[in-house]
Amino acid sequence: MAMIPRERVPYSAIVDRPKLKLPGNGRIIVWTIVNLEVWDIGKPMARQVLPAPTGQPLLPDVPNWTWHEFGMRVGFWRFHALYERLGMRPTLSINARVTVDYPRVAQACRDAGWEFMAHSWEQGPIHKEEDQRGMIFRTMDQLENFTGKRPVGWLGPGLTQTYDTPEHLAEAGVKYIGDWVYDEEPTEIRTEKGPLITLPYSVECNDIPMMIVQHHEAQYWTQKCIDAFDRLYMEGAERPRIMAIAIHPYISGQPFRIKYLEAVYEYMSRFAGVVHWNGEQILEWYLEARKEKA
Amino acid sequence: MKPLDRISYSPIPQRPPLKLPNGARMVVWTIVNVEEWDIDQTMPRTVLTPPAGGSPMPDVPNWAWHEYGNRVGFWRMLKVLDSLDIKAVLAINGTAVRAYEPISRAALERGWEFMGHGYTQKNMQKVENEREDIAKTTEAIRAFSGTNPRGWLGPGLTESWETPDLLVEAGYEYVCDWVLDDQPVLLKTRTRPIVNVPYTQECNDVAMMLIQHHSAIEYYRRAMDQFEQIYADAAGSARVMALVVHPYIMGAPHRLKYYRRALEEIRARKDVLFWTGEQILDWYLEARKEKA
Repeated sequence: MAMIPRERVPYSAIVDRPKLKLPGNGRIIVWTIVNLEVWDIGKPMARQVLPAPTGQPLLPDVPNWTWHEFGMRVGFWRFHALYERLGMRPTLSINARVTVDYPRVAQACRDAGWEFMAHSWEQGPIHKEEDQRGMIFRTMDQLENFTGKRPVGWLGPGLTQTYDTPEHLAEAGVKYIGDWVYDEEPTEIRTEKGPLITLPYSVECNDIPMMIVQHHEAQYWTQKCIDAFDRLYMEGAERPRIMAIAIHPYISGQPFRIKYLEAVYEYMSRFAGVVHWNGEQILEWYLEARKEKA
Repeated sequence: MKPLDRISYSPIPQRPPLKLPNGARMVVWTIVNVEEWDIDQTMPRTVLTPPAGGSPMPDVPNWAWHEYGNRVGFWRMLKVLDSLDIKAVLAINGTAVRAYEPISRAALERGWEFMGHGYTQKNMQKVENEREDIAKTTEAIRAFSGTNPRGWLGPGLTESWETPDLLVEAGYEYVCDWVLDDQPVLLKTRTRPIVNVPYTQECNDVAMMLIQHHSAIEYYRRAMDQFEQIYADAAGSARVMALVVHPYIMGAPHRLKYYRRALEEIRARKDVLFWTGEQILDWYLEARKEKA
């Protein structure tokens, strides 16, 4: 039942599609995603800020574990304060194990009404899961038990998928995925267990590629997000666009980086026709909007 | 043949001057690279490494990141090139001609030049049969556009020792894998010579954004610095400047304006020509005769 991407959806040029409409002449949807993860100290760390002297990977990797742990202890609370102040309820991309290891953090997100998007059980490429289907169900069940509502969204760890991941996800009750960063509109892809919607997540306005892979300076975050926003806002006059902003507390929650994130929201607040929606809201809008255009 | 068997060293100020028509000083050509990345292979480039490293297959996130360029990014670039009335050169993988037919059609309708860019985005040293790969690329372009491509760019500029020979035998008249000069030059092959047109690894978004990890504005700054210097250098003898883009990189919303700004400013200069690769080729072949 495994399918390659081309079997799930044909190539489509954005200019060839009917236009979707946002309510009230909206031009752009901003979709903020906060990623919360569990980095198991018994395994290699998902990312490293400091490779060991001589570059050999060592276990346990305490320095990089604590670097990430800082995000859960300190950085997350900077995000929390920011979104409380802005009255925003972002999407939380969450390893299900966070509800076990960091209940304090998960409860704060639940209490604040953030959307819980499933993000695997813990952080590691999905290719290495011995029982991928079982892990997906376990993740969805755990989050459902924790929030009282089964998640509708899924983001693979590092966006990873195997060829049969979409089938497992659809079967487990997932409605949308963020793993396919191949468009600026939602799209529908085929699985043997029913369709999935893709939402335009981002590997561009995303602090992992920018800060950890490409090593940009902190202030470039503001510039890049504003440049992306300006372009999408302009084009949104003709066809609504979606802009995703993906952040991690151990990166953007650092004291020297947080102001560059805050500045992005400050900039966007000056424009009319900008809505801040979570993944589930975008999904619901899309399912209705595509009926109207049909 | 090794490179120095094909071309001997030549210092640029010691050559007879090249002249462009109507007193133009230099030529700019812009190349848009459209590729198809095979999901069953390792992705040619990545933006996001998997958690804890390694290279698990399939690599859906990086495949999707590239696919974005052809679904969305290309169409943004097209508007810029249309608004400035610039005919670009489409360097396209043979398989991509059909896989992304709306792109091929847009290029054909505008009279862009199609340049062969390998049948797939695979190193030329790793394709099983190079001659066949070139022939299939030529055929894919001819079948769609009605014309044989005259120019060739290897995937990632890769060549074997034999590539220039095979290209000439397949009917190609120019190649741009050799970034060794600011002017076209002739490369010997075992039959007729082939022209090499100056391409660039410097004003190239793959090198700048994916390898060197510059901020997007550096594309604009570097393009203008490159332009001003070549313009100055071209006082006595014409030079060629290339601007290279890929839809999945410079077609991202936050990057596009820096490509647009560079093109706009250069377009406003009166004695600078925007040509395709074949226009450069035809001019060079004529200009050589005259100076000889």
